[in-house]
Amino acid sequence: MIDAPELVKMKICMAGEAMVGKTSLIRRYVLDEYEDRYTATLGTKITKKSLTVTHPRDGRSVHVNLILWDIMGAPTLRDLLKEAYYHGAHGILGVADVTREETLRELDAWSRSIRTVAGTIPTYVVVNKADLEGQAALDRDTIDAFCRQRGYPWSYTSAKTAKGVEGAFDGLVRQVLSV
Amino acid sequence: MRRPETSVLVREALTRDANDVDALFVLAALRVQEGQPEEGLRILDRVLGINPDYPGVWFFKEKVHRMCGETRQAESARQQGESMEP
Repeated sequence: MIDAPELVKMKICMAGEAMVGKTSLIRRYVLDEYEDRYTATLGTKITKKSLTVTHPRDGRSVHVNLILWDIMGAPTLRDLLKEAYYHGAHGILGVADVTREETLRELDAWSRSIRTVAGTIPTYVVVNKADLEGQAALDRDTIDAFCRQRGYPWSYTSAKTAKGVEGAFDGLVRQVLSV
Repeated sequence: MRRPETSVLVREALTRDANDVDALFVLAALRVQEGQPEEGLRILDRVLGINPDYPGVWFFKEKVHRMCGETRQAESARQQGESMEP
């Protein structure tokens, strides 16, 4: 649990299968840029961002130093590297790809792995690539049922168009502050 | 389109730059996964020589030392990790 002093340091880890857009979401959120070419993440990349938010419990202004861990989406090394990546995490941004149904289900495996290290920490799910709605393999009801059952808030995002990206990260920050 | 195999990505990255710290870190993990924890630790020491602040390296080192039954080294790695986490 995080107390809410004037300055809060918050480690947020990205979780999800390869090619769902984890790196692109961070790039859009922090730099407001998008790169169409796919580059697989090897290991982890850390990006920092500072923001000021209203504390969800008492309305006080809180300055948050976000440390975003972009973690490679290679399930074969997930459990071996879980301590390295998830130690001290405060929140998880679980990422699914609207065009690949299995990427939502696989968030359960990511969540299990993370919770063995970081405990039950706030998780926010984004269903990315919302700009590809013509190719959607996941409908709103399916996503809603999945997330409701697990208590995850969720929203659509598109790293390509920027739709929903800032709101999702900010939503997770508020969720962490609420704990 | 599928994500290339991790081992292929590592090999390509190290061909471009033998000191690519991300690739070395993942190579260490691959070696541990293959049942060669001592080789994994040797590569992790290379990672630390290049970047002692590499994210997660100390906690992974702790885990591998524990796998090798090296409790004292594992504790030492953990303390380093605790002091260096961003």
